[in-house]
Amino acid sequence: MDPSEVEFLAEKEVVKIIPNFSLDKIYLIGGDLGPFNPGLPVDVPVWLALNLKQRQKCRIVPPEWMDVEKLEEIRELERKEDTFTPVPSPYYMELTKLLLNHASDNIPKADEIRTLVKDIWDTRIAKLRLSADSFISQQEAHAKLDNLTLMEINTTRSFLLDTLNCMFKLRSNLQPGSSGGKAQDH
Amino acid sequence: MPCERKTMRYGHSEGHTDVCFDDTGKYIVTCGSDGDVRIWESLDDDDPKSINVGEKAYSLALKNGKLVTAASNNTVQIHTFPEGDPDGILTRFTTNATHITYNSSGSRVAAGSSDFMVKVVEMSDSSQQKTLRGHNAPVLSVTFDPKDEFLASASCDGSVAVWKIEEQTQVISWPLLQKSNDVINAKSLCRLAWQPKAAKLLAVPVETTVQLYQRDSWAHVNTLSDDLGTQAINVVAWSPCGKFLAAGSIGGLLTVWDVESKLCVERQTHEKGYTVCGLAWHPSGGQIAYTDTEGCLGVLDGLSSSSSSSSTTAAKTSYDDLFDDDDDDRPMDEGVSEGARSPAKNPGDEDDDDDLMPATGRARNRSAFLDDENSLDTGSLKLGLDKFVDDDDVGSAIVPPAAAAAPLRPVYDGPMPTPPQKAFQPGSTPAHLMHRFMMWNSVGIVRGYNDDQDNAIDVEFHDTAVHHAMHLTNSLGHTVADLSQEAVLLACPGTDELASKLQCLHFSSWDTNKEWMVDLPKGEDVRALCLGQGWAAAATSALMLRLFSIGGVQRELFSLPGPVVCMAGHGEQLLVVYHRGTGFDGEQALGVQLLQFGHKRRQVIHGEPLPLSRRSHLSWLGFTAEGTPCFIDSEGVVRLLNRSLGNMWTPVCNTRDNCKGKSDHYWVVGVHENPQQLRCIPCKGSRYPPTLPRPAVAILPFKLPLCQTTTEKGQMEEQYWRSVLLHNHYGFLSSSGYEIDEEGQSQAQKEQQELLMKMFALSCKLEREFRCVELAELMTQNVVTLAIRYASRSRRMALAQRLSDLALEKANQLQGEEPQEEEEEEPLQYTRRNTGSGLGRPGSAGGQHRVTNVLDSMISSSRKPTALLSSSGSTGKLNKTPVLKPLAPRPKTKVQHNSQIETGFQLWLEENRRILLADNPELEETDVIKEAMGRFRTLSADDRLVRCLTQVCVCASLINTWCYDTLSVREMIYLLD
Repeated sequence: MDPSEVEFLAEKEVVKIIPNFSLDKIYLIGGDLGPFNPGLPVDVPVWLALNLKQRQKCRIVPPEWMDVEKLEEIRELERKEDTFTPVPSPYYMELTKLLLNHASDNIPKADEIRTLVKDIWDTRIAKLRLSADSFISQQEAHAKLDNLTLMEINTTRSFLLDTLNCMFKLRSNLQPGSSGGKAQDH
Repeated sequence: MPCERKTMRYGHSEGHTDVCFDDTGKYIVTCGSDGDVRIWESLDDDDPKSINVGEKAYSLALKNGKLVTAASNNTVQIHTFPEGDPDGILTRFTTNATHITYNSSGSRVAAGSSDFMVKVVEMSDSSQQKTLRGHNAPVLSVTFDPKDEFLASASCDGSVAVWKIEEQTQVISWPLLQKSNDVINAKSLCRLAWQPKAAKLLAVPVETTVQLYQRDSWAHVNTLSDDLGTQAINVVAWSPCGKFLAAGSIGGLLTVWDVESKLCVERQTHEKGYTVCGLAWHPSGGQIAYTDTEGCLGVLDGLSSSSSSSSTTAAKTSYDDLFDDDDDDRPMDEGVSEGARSPAKNPGDEDDDDDLMPATGRARNRSAFLDDENSLDTGSLKLGLDKFVDDDDVGSAIVPPAAAAAPLRPVYDGPMPTPPQKAFQPGSTPAHLMHRFMMWNSVGIVRGYNDDQDNAIDVEFHDTAVHHAMHLTNSLGHTVADLSQEAVLLACPGTDELASKLQCLHFSSWDTNKEWMVDLPKGEDVRALCLGQGWAAAATSALMLRLFSIGGVQRELFSLPGPVVCMAGHGEQLLVVYHRGTGFDGEQALGVQLLQFGHKRRQVIHGEPLPLSRRSHLSWLGFTAEGTPCFIDSEGVVRLLNRSLGNMWTPVCNTRDNCKGKSDHYWVVGVHENPQQLRCIPCKGSRYPPTLPRPAVAILPFKLPLCQTTTEKGQMEEQYWRSVLLHNHYGFLSSSGYEIDEEGQSQAQKEQQELLMKMFALSCKLEREFRCVELAELMTQNVVTLAIRYASRSRRMALAQRLSDLALEKANQLQGEEPQEEEEEEPLQYTRRNTGSGLGRPGSAGGQHRVTNVLDSMISSSRKPTALLSSSGSTGKLNKTPVLKPLAPRPKTKVQHNSQIETGFQLWLEENRRILLADNPELEETDVIKEAMGRFRTLSADDRLVRCLTQVCVCASLINTWCYDTLSVREMIYLLD
């Protein structure tokens, strides 16, 4: 699974838009959308929101958590806690990226939000690396990680697995015939 | 002590000021926060001499041609007077001095400062200083003992202290004041004053009273207070003779007491109610100069020139004043009883009318509150009020004393009139904002920007298919706007040179000229605007409503019964709300007119009162998307016109119920009936939204304020009536020739009937059979059939029976006026047929046919339960029902038919009863009817026809006739049976 796939999944998230056209309900496989009334907020998936936005057919209403104050709070909490704190949205990183790239004019204080989300992301990834490090150094067999988002798991997965594989190989070379390293293999 | 309050004049820029007289009393000297000292020869001096002493001047004192000022550069400076040349610096502090004062001889100056210190400096040698330390907060004011032994000072630490100057020690300290951290935050400036000459008393303003302390013993000897003084006294000053004490309060009340008798001898209110912060007596004692925190200077003139003024008069007046406090009618009574009053006193009485001010002050506060929230022009209103009062005073000053003895205006303390709400555009934010919404409606948004860089209008459409966004430079200064699918309408108020203009950007025009402009006649200003389909309307200050076609053709013109508040247009309807009169005690008296243009021109609502919530004003007016008039008041209650209830207004929602905080509001931008939506913008802590960040629309549901909506019953009732109310528009639309969504209508009806059925089932479960029947009356006929089935299934035979009767009635009702039942009495039926034929109404036979059909079906349906019953085997009941059956329905149906039919005969009877009675005076009522019937039958057919025709004409009133004479009708039925 690569990041673009995760992003694809994130595009199914629902976001509010304010359309500037009127259209009856549209019936899609994923569910019914609309009706679209000009000026009236309506919930649509991100992919549609971005599509409409690119065609200048709507304004996107940023999700509630995409607010400087709230994000600052989350950032502080994230920095304070040793474990992962719950994130405002399971796709916070992807949504921030998508919305800020395509609709930064509809989001107040877009730059600050970008920085804040990046801070949160960095903090979390740092934690993740740290825990991976301790996981390996202490030769643990399993670890429990709550509140991780798909994107975060995804970024660390390939690296961690490769590392573990590599270490396994090294270990098995050191102790030929030993199966001690197996437990670490996922 | 009669005195005259002269009109105030502007002296300094807004902020703290101080005032004093020079030794001779020739000049008034003021200083203010603009840092200038001004020397006025009199109040009318148009060119006072200005001396700049610093950035700000906090206090000044003047004696022996030396002017000392406390300026913001932390120094106390000397200037020569009246030349105004700088004459050195007297002393310095670490922060600014707050108050300075001379001793009686002028040899020393005392200065109090924000650095907690008081300094006493010799004028001759400024190095001779005495510092008084002991206050723990900025010093508010200082005053010298006239005998130069003591000095009193007040401080923000709440204490008032007396110091022995030579020893630099505190003699006594009283904790009298409220503590504060700075002079600016102090509740009162607490300007102390030591009685001149005798030097016996020290006056300390404490809250609303003045406390008098005796020298040497430092005992509290007296308290001077005034019942009308509701706000803290800022400053006190002794008259030069030492007998009178003047005080100026935060609320602008100026009071003069006779200290010996402790009576208030003079009372004046500041003309605008600003805080008095400087007060000085003229050396002669006949004049008081005062300044306020807005930088204005005023003078009270004509105070008794010396202490020798007849003390008896003073006492008398003061007694009068005392009583006047609570007995406002006194001038009238006294005018009668005391014919020869001293003329000199009358102006004083007139001044008593100023005591009204606190009362009007209440209304004023209220208006200020309105101002915050809904752009009411209280500024002008206040001015109006003040002008009114001023005029009065001027009048009293001009009118010769003899004439002033004429009846005085009785003081009024009944309900106070509400300031009328100012005209506004629904969906706009207040005009004083730099960035504002000039209009937000279902079509789009018009934003107005009026700041340093730009004076522009942005028009944006919700649906970009209507038109692209527009940016206009607002060179004309438009203040009101409306927006429709066809055009943007803008208007600006007139100025001295330019007339009020109406500008229309008709963007949907198919020619190339998309704009027109109209100048209103001179002196006429546009107050409210609206756009409809193909027309525009403007209500003006001349109580005129002008209609234009959308292309710019002037159309109808008519006068409005009162000043317009706002207007709304939709399709061919125009809704106007105006002031019907003056409201009292916070209520607005608004009237509403609903006009319909197009092919059916008429006035639907004829200026009826608009039912606002208690003590609220109108905040939004408009139409739902479906064209039903709707309005919202400042209490957040949304009311919808109920066309089915004789154009009454029904509350459908209270937006405040949805608010979390007390100061949160919903700013409504649109109302939709189908789907049921109230589109509004949630505003946190305000009544209207800011333009940035762009507010988002939220949707509120409607909820009729029915009782017990927490119960299932209440909920269903609410749903039912809401559905009925919000689908009224179908009837209106189809009647005014619009296309309607038939499917939607039938769906709504289905929903209503379903709800009724649910309610029916619920009542059945609760064993409320009477209620079941009531509900069934609301149902359509085929749903009643279902109800009957339900009732019979649930073994409620009596109910089923009643329902089947009801179904019968309903079926009959369906047939309307058409002749329908064979078993009718012959003569009545005869008339009936005559009516029918006389009016040429076709299809009586068909009607009859249908009736029988309906009856058949009804009977069969009502028999079903019987069949069921029989199968269940309870015979007793079964036998009874058929017996009961014909009896029960008959009178009912008869009543109903008679209510329609009896009219011909009834009318005739009404006309001829007297003749009948005259002919046969001995007859009983029943006999009269019998007799009448006989006569009626003998009438010729033609005769009857005429009567029947007249009967048709007065058809509407017949119900009344019937009600009026129920008794005789009942008897008639009885007879007929």
